[in-house]
Amino acid sequence: MNSNIYDPAFWSRLQFGFTLTYHYLFPQLTMGLAWFLVYWKWRALRTGDEKYNQAVRFWTKIFGLNFAVGVVTGIPMEFQFGTNWAEFSKYAGGVIGQTLAMEGMFAFFLESAFIGALIWGEKRLGPRYHFMAALAVALGSWLSGYFILVTNAFMQHPVGYRIEENGLLGIASMSAYLLNPWAWIQYAHNQMAALVTGSFVVAAVGAFYALRRVCPTQSPLYLKAGTLVGLIASFLVAFPTGDQQAKMVGNHQPVTLAAMEGRFVGGPLAGVALIGQPNIAAKRLDNPIEVPGALSFLAYGTFQSYVHGLDEYPEDTWPDNIELLYYSFHLMITLGTIFILLMGLATFQNWRGRLQSSNWLLWILMLAFPFPYIANTLGWMTAELGRQPWLIYGLFRTRDGYSKVVSNGDTIFTLIGFTGLYFVLGLLFLYLVGREIHHGPGEGAVVKAEEVPQ
Amino acid sequence: MIAAWYGVVSFMLIAYVLLDGRNFGAGMIHWIVAKTPEERRQVIAAIGPLWSWHEVWLVGFGGTLIAIFPRLMGSAFAGYYLALFLILWGLILRGISIEVGGHINDHLWQGFWDFVFVFANFLLAILFGAAAGNVVRGVPLDAQGNFSMAFFTNFSVRGNVGLLDWYTVSVAIFAAVILAAHGATYLTLKTEGPVHDRSAAFGKSLWIAVVPLIIAITVETWLVRPELPRQAMHNPICWLGILIVIISAGALASGISAHREMRAFVCSNLLLVGLLATGAAAIFPVMLHSTLKPEDSLTVYAVASSRSTLLLAAIWWPIGFVLASVYFVFISKRYFGKVSVKRDNQGFY
Repeated sequence: MNSNIYDPAFWSRLQFGFTLTYHYLFPQLTMGLAWFLVYWKWRALRTGDEKYNQAVRFWTKIFGLNFAVGVVTGIPMEFQFGTNWAEFSKYAGGVIGQTLAMEGMFAFFLESAFIGALIWGEKRLGPRYHFMAALAVALGSWLSGYFILVTNAFMQHPVGYRIEENGLLGIASMSAYLLNPWAWIQYAHNQMAALVTGSFVVAAVGAFYALRRVCPTQSPLYLKAGTLVGLIASFLVAFPTGDQQAKMVGNHQPVTLAAMEGRFVGGPLAGVALIGQPNIAAKRLDNPIEVPGALSFLAYGTFQSYVHGLDEYPEDTWPDNIELLYYSFHLMITLGTIFILLMGLATFQNWRGRLQSSNWLLWILMLAFPFPYIANTLGWMTAELGRQPWLIYGLFRTRDGYSKVVSNGDTIFTLIGFTGLYFVLGLLFLYLVGREIHHGPGEGAVVKAEEVPQ
Repeated sequence: MIAAWYGVVSFMLIAYVLLDGRNFGAGMIHWIVAKTPEERRQVIAAIGPLWSWHEVWLVGFGGTLIAIFPRLMGSAFAGYYLALFLILWGLILRGISIEVGGHINDHLWQGFWDFVFVFANFLLAILFGAAAGNVVRGVPLDAQGNFSMAFFTNFSVRGNVGLLDWYTVSVAIFAAVILAAHGATYLTLKTEGPVHDRSAAFGKSLWIAVVPLIIAITVETWLVRPELPRQAMHNPICWLGILIVIISAGALASGISAHREMRAFVCSNLLLVGLLATGAAAIFPVMLHSTLKPEDSLTVYAVASSRSTLLLAAIWWPIGFVLASVYFVFISKRYFGKVSVKRDNQGFY
């Protein structure tokens, strides 16, 4: 990132990045948790077992709080396209506005109409309609994710557009725009990552109750669903979705892939750096430990494949913060690998019936839930830093997109305002969610330690 | 085509004002019509679990505005920078106050969030009112179609204007009063017991206060933009709007005095539709009037996307609208009826 504090684009980027990163902490749990609610509601319908309804009631409270913060932090996102990125909106509004509007019309109306019914309507609606409400909310949240990913995919890999007579962008093919191959792969990768967040949170609460020796029927339910879904989703995040994502970056944004890997010189038999520090001044990767040929294989299918280096591209097309990009990408991969190992081990222990008694593993599961949030954030940092210096890849530069009439002082003022407001909002959210978890799914206080089945 | 899209965008904004306006209104009179903690929960419950559905109209409006009139979006949103962020923060506080107030059954906790609720709704009603005043009065647009405005300059309505001047402030006051009246009419329909009685009584006085304000705003508008009434004379939609205003005002008065609450509420909505549609039609085709040089004003034709983009949007928009209406009908049926203090909390806050 061009860290010149006199550069207005810097402050607008920081504000957009901050408000979006903060906002996305909430929808990722909404999208991840929604299918747990649908599944338990469906189990309750099929088996009539009250424990599933109890689970739904408990998680719906957390879902509701999470949803509310997601809604209120989401509205500023759309408005910032106009307030801080006016030139970009003027240029590309005819294209990206379509999906932003569709998100409201097709996804948010669905989601917000049924969220109240899901949270407060169990008795009013009856079990069947209540299940439908859960399904509607889940579909709505995943649909909204798709529209946003199409919007982002256009910025990563513009398709289906044309340049009109007045020099602004318009839609040439709606189907090409909506079915952007970049959107499909990124969506699959992103949704699996949201499921990872959801399953880690569910498993963490299950582990918390198991360690406190309360909720003897609910806690195994959360642990079982959380670890199994967590394992499957963590695996799918890496393969095939993450793998395909990297191949796509290699094909369409080779300079980004080179920067992500800290690869300054091109050539065949390219290695993946397990460790190493990109040194921009010297244009090399310091102290690398590489797996030879691995990058060639992962990106293009054979160990001999030629992988481009940064030296082949003019410096003004390099991502403008290679260090941050490199570390974001590598940390994300490291965390993703740990998630597979952790959830694999937990699922295995659960299958053997040992999870409830492995205190050390329960402790790890309980404390692991922030890491998927971090990995999701790192993934988006990789995507967005990697896109630089372009706002729309190859078409429109970030430095041309910000609002010319808005002064730095204005943006710094609103950025500080958001920081304060979001800090308070975060405290409030953690307090209220902590309270719900402490209160438990209705059997928390009444259960004594000796009642826990061994 | 462009004119039709102007109609659609206006419609979405009007729908938002009707739906969220009643929440602003109920929020502003919250302390007056509800005295005990139970009564205050009743007001929140009457706004009900649909506040985020109402806000989606604003999100849908914003998205459609970017797609259809991208140059307007860029120019207006950057120009109104600080005012818009105040609106965004107001919306954050308002949403949070509705959601978290009921989570803890403690009178200090609820009292605090009631305060945030009242404050945020006041702020929003006044800011949206001032924004409407700004659209009519115009902004200091330059030849490139950009502007940047101070909160206030010398409170005059010409030349280098600020967000607030005597005209926009009076529109803001008018907006607060008429939305409070709208909210009171909604609460009368939606509640029973003391909240109902107080809302009915207070709503009546608010509607009486609206009458001189409408006249004052009309005269002021004529002073600020003398050409607008002349334009309106030749626009059949303005006549239709005025007709709706007159009929619904009459029916509203009879509805209130005859205690026909549904009729009163429907007419309260229609009255707002009439007023806003008249305004939207009168300023057409100018979307942003320049107070510096009228010829720099941004018209719908100058700011619209290309024809093919508009045509494509015309395919999916109606489908989305029909779907949204279906959800609305389904969900409104579930929440039909009055909210009392005694009911269990199923479906309520």
